Amino acid sequence: MPDDLTPRPEPGPAAGEIEPILTVPPEVGAPKPNPILVVDNLTRSFGGLRAVDVDHLEMERGVVTALIGPNGAGKTTLFNLLTGFDRADTGRWSFDGQPVTSPSPDQLARKGMIRTFQLTKSLAKLTVLDNVLLGAPGQVGERLPVAPFRSRWRHQEQANTERAEELLERFNLAHMRDELAGTLSGGQRKLLEVARALMAEPVLIMLDEPMAGVNPALAQSLMRHITLLAYEGLSVVFIEHAMDVVTGISDWVVVLAQGRVIAEGPPWKVIHDDEVIDAYLGRRRAGAGS
Amino acid sequence: MDFDIIFGNAARAAFGPEAVILALAAVGLNVHFGFTGLLNFGQVGFLLLGAYGTSVSVATFGWSLWVGVVVGLVLSVALAVALGFPTLRLHAVMFAIVTIAAAEIIRILIGSTDAIGLTGGPLSVSFDAGAFYDLNPYPDGPHDRYGIGTFEFTGQQLWVITVGWVLVALVCLAVFLIVRSPWGRVLKSIREDEDAARSLGKNVFSYKMQALVIGGVIGGMGGVIDAIKTSGADPNGFRPQVTFFAYTALLLGGSATYLGPVLGAILFWFLREWIESFLRQLTAEAWLPDAAADFLDGTEGVISVAMVGLALVLLMLFRPQGIVGNRTEMQLDAR
Repeated sequence: MPDDLTPRPEPGPAAGEIEPILTVPPEVGAPKPNPILVVDNLTRSFGGLRAVDVDHLEMERGVVTALIGPNGAGKTTLFNLLTGFDRADTGRWSFDGQPVTSPSPDQLARKGMIRTFQLTKSLAKLTVLDNVLLGAPGQVGERLPVAPFRSRWRHQEQANTERAEELLERFNLAHMRDELAGTLSGGQRKLLEVARALMAEPVLIMLDEPMAGVNPALAQSLMRHITLLAYEGLSVVFIEHAMDVVTGISDWVVVLAQGRVIAEGPPWKVIHDDEVIDAYLGRRRAGAGS
Repeated sequence: MDFDIIFGNAARAAFGPEAVILALAAVGLNVHFGFTGLLNFGQVGFLLLGAYGTSVSVATFGWSLWVGVVVGLVLSVALAVALGFPTLRLHAVMFAIVTIAAAEIIRILIGSTDAIGLTGGPLSVSFDAGAFYDLNPYPDGPHDRYGIGTFEFTGQQLWVITVGWVLVALVCLAVFLIVRSPWGRVLKSIREDEDAARSLGKNVFSYKMQALVIGGVIGGMGGVIDAIKTSGADPNGFRPQVTFFAYTALLLGGSATYLGPVLGAILFWFLREWIESFLRQLTAEAWLPDAAADFLDGTEGVISVAMVGLALVLLMLFRPQGIVGNRTEMQLDAR
């Protein structure tokens, strides 16, 4: 196995060249030209159940990767492990070229790995604006010795507020700016969480079922916004269990079933993969397929 | 039945040193519970260390009162750190259990006969708070009284409560300044959902520890005022109900508000003393049946506390957000 923990030189596609991700063969564990996340031998068991068992997985920088799989495939557990919200039994991974040695959620977040949650975690008794402002990185006013002196953090707060308002505008939440987040609908909370995550200026944003419960029109605009961000250099990984949703918006699809990566590749290839179809629909009788 | 006296007693209690102490305990608790969501059931431990730190420094070690005050506050910080390190990473319930147990352990140790040499043990400790009263600007002759009608204080009492309420005001101002900042926003986010705060890069443990220390020191200040007011400390004054009274005051006034805990402390003592005085006067009334008078005699204090409890129950039913709280915020809890 190659030493994947050493950062690779950025190939940097020249103008007119095809997207580097498209040169990657659609094979499980295929190396990527410029990975943001490299995972090796990652396992996590709950009792006798092996929830995650990934030998090798790379996620490309600056593209939208969809992580799909049937219910119970271990998608969220994989997210929890990578973001430090759960401890892996074995394995190591590197983020942005740096090996992750002692994964703690807040440290990883400060390095730019920002996640959202399947069960939305909106901060009910904070206003919508405050929810988003909380995401802003490097706030001087969050340090206790500075906090009492408004003049020291006012300017930064103002700049952050402007950015937050832009994000709220984009996610159709601007009119709810001063409402308590707890009064939002489920779909609006989902959007609020994505806005808050983007406020944190992520390098890699990991969205756990961002479109669940969001009305279809809004979900579309949400994903359009996300693909646009990927175009500007943001790396996106999102979990989804509906296969048809991912085709239009993802550059790369990783399929998880029973904790293992069973296929990966561009969406149009993956959805025709026999093993993927098996995983979703149940195994066919021997000899019936292929 | 003399309602002037009843009102005078109630008003004196509402603005007297006891209310100052309760207000400080509740303001500290507000930082823990109201803003950060830390379920601290051992707030009395901070008051105890504030009071005993001051008393023991002066009485046992013969240090100056001002050194004693500093010792009391430093001990409060030490308790916060000692409690926080092992427990703040655990579930909120663990923290609650540890705090109530720790406060009891400290009280029992300090009040044990083995500790007589150091803290006076069960005999309580007393010292000369002269250094504090030397600064008293109010003439304090035997006939000097300040106030209107039955609502009056002696010069010494007035000096204690002047310092006390100024301290409460300064503490409230400080809490306001830090909580309205981005720092305070992180505290509230931890109260709402720790994992969300973590996922946005906030070091939750560190913020909880800061909140625990700040609220603990504010509680410690209450203890210091208590020690100065009584020129000493007694282990029986630091039973767990002090914490529960502080919670009562906090919820009466409005949790997670800036002035709620202070208003709550004033109201708590006003109600408690009004009811108790009223019952005392009632006991003396000739028309009261003997059986009722016998029952009331000596139980006025207990009944008044029970009545405050009843007031809290009614408050939860009709105004759960407290006097100055925000109703919409409160209703979100029900979701």
